[in-house]
Amino acid sequence: MSEQTPYEPRIVAFLCKWCSSAGSDLAGVSRIQYPANATPITVACSGGVSPQYILSALRKGADGVLVSGCHIGDCHYMEGNMHARRKLYLVKELLEFAGVEPERFRMSWVSAAEGAKFAQVVRDFVEDLRPLGPQDKLNAERP
Amino acid sequence: MIDLNALRTQAADILETGEVGAVIGWRRGSRGMAAEPVAIVAPEEAASLVWDPTCFHNLALYLVEERKKPAQRQVHGGKPIAIVAKGCDARAVTVLLQENHFGRDDVYVIGVSCEGTGVLDERKLAQVLPGVEPDGAAFDGDNFVFATSEGERRVPAREAMMDRCLECRNAHPKLNNVVFGEETPRDFDAPFAALKRFEQRPAAERWQFWQRQFERCIRCFACRSVCPMCYCDECVVDSINLVVTPETTAAEKADRVRWIERSASRADNIGYHMTRALHLAGRCVDCGECERVCPVNIPLRLLNNKMEREAREAFGYEPGASIDLPALVASFRDDDPGQFIR
Repeated sequence: MSEQTPYEPRIVAFLCKWCSSAGSDLAGVSRIQYPANATPITVACSGGVSPQYILSALRKGADGVLVSGCHIGDCHYMEGNMHARRKLYLVKELLEFAGVEPERFRMSWVSAAEGAKFAQVVRDFVEDLRPLGPQDKLNAERP
Repeated sequence: MIDLNALRTQAADILETGEVGAVIGWRRGSRGMAAEPVAIVAPEEAASLVWDPTCFHNLALYLVEERKKPAQRQVHGGKPIAIVAKGCDARAVTVLLQENHFGRDDVYVIGVSCEGTGVLDERKLAQVLPGVEPDGAAFDGDNFVFATSEGERRVPAREAMMDRCLECRNAHPKLNNVVFGEETPRDFDAPFAALKRFEQRPAAERWQFWQRQFERCIRCFACRSVCPMCYCDECVVDSINLVVTPETTAAEKADRVRWIERSASRADNIGYHMTRALHLAGRCVDCGECERVCPVNIPLRLLNNKMEREAREAFGYEPGASIDLPALVASFRDDDPGQFIR
């Protein structure tokens, strides 16, 4: 990235294949305009998102990490998102405790019908990340 | 006060009757006054067992090690193993039982209560008695008694005790087959005192603090080696499971999954310690061994305490409280906090 280019936050988005991933598709086919900063990674369930994925994304230079799954009660595997909620709450708390900006990790529930919500979530996330600047705390590439 | 002879007799008895195949305890060590872990298999060896303020090691670690080496099982004929356990060690055994690492019948817990005190912090002792190298240590009510060349030195236990012991929730081993010592009320520091102080500092200061701490980490992995909960055959930092054959290409070797590099760098050190803290969430019993063995004095208990308190306050979960509890991250409640989710 040359110095003239304005800073664009890079987001890694872990999206549940049953809801949020389809939700992002809906945002696309509905032609909703939203920033292209998020790199989606489809996962089988938000409950399968290991804390390691989040730390690893930050380590490899992500400015923010989004995990998005089904609304409580709607999990395709009955209770995956309940596990995700508990596990990732701990990740959020730990990052904050270590002094990493809490805005860098975000979670959302987006159903397959909520294309507009998905676009809004990404829009908000990018806006919140922009003032923080590049993430250099956990980034191994920028020591 | 614990009658050491009763403890030795008990160990000798269960070895004699064949109820257990081995007893893991402490004996007089070769480094000054410090005790060292020992596994005994013959009744007459029971006389070497000791119990004093230098018995800081969490022996639950050796139950795990023992399970990993089937060859060792031949030594004691597959019989249960007895372990001398303090309150914290017994909680560690409870977590291992919770995780089905072994069965309740495979372990015989000889509980020892720390009563009103705890174990010695050698770093604190060096400040309380500078320049003195005691030959022995003993409990005496609220004091530690050190045998030195100039006679006995008495130190209030409070001044030379491990921080974790000052904040101990349960110095009396709840899980036991037999227990020595009384369940004495403790009026020490409220749990998580240091944690609460630290959390009140601003985020930038917290980051500065951890950055300074983790920059020093030399990745000796002593914290991992000493932890009874760190029993994975393959650790996330190792990635040794790539089977290298003559057909393995250089690209395959280079592309193997490496979540965290083994070598010490700030980002990877933080990644390692954060991963460890998360893996220990709801499992760490705050035995404080990681912090004790750290050669560069990283306050690892602070990280683990944070996870422990979150587990307690957000999910009402107490690690090592009962064998029947499901694991923290393998269970959920409908009213788990979710306000942070959009």
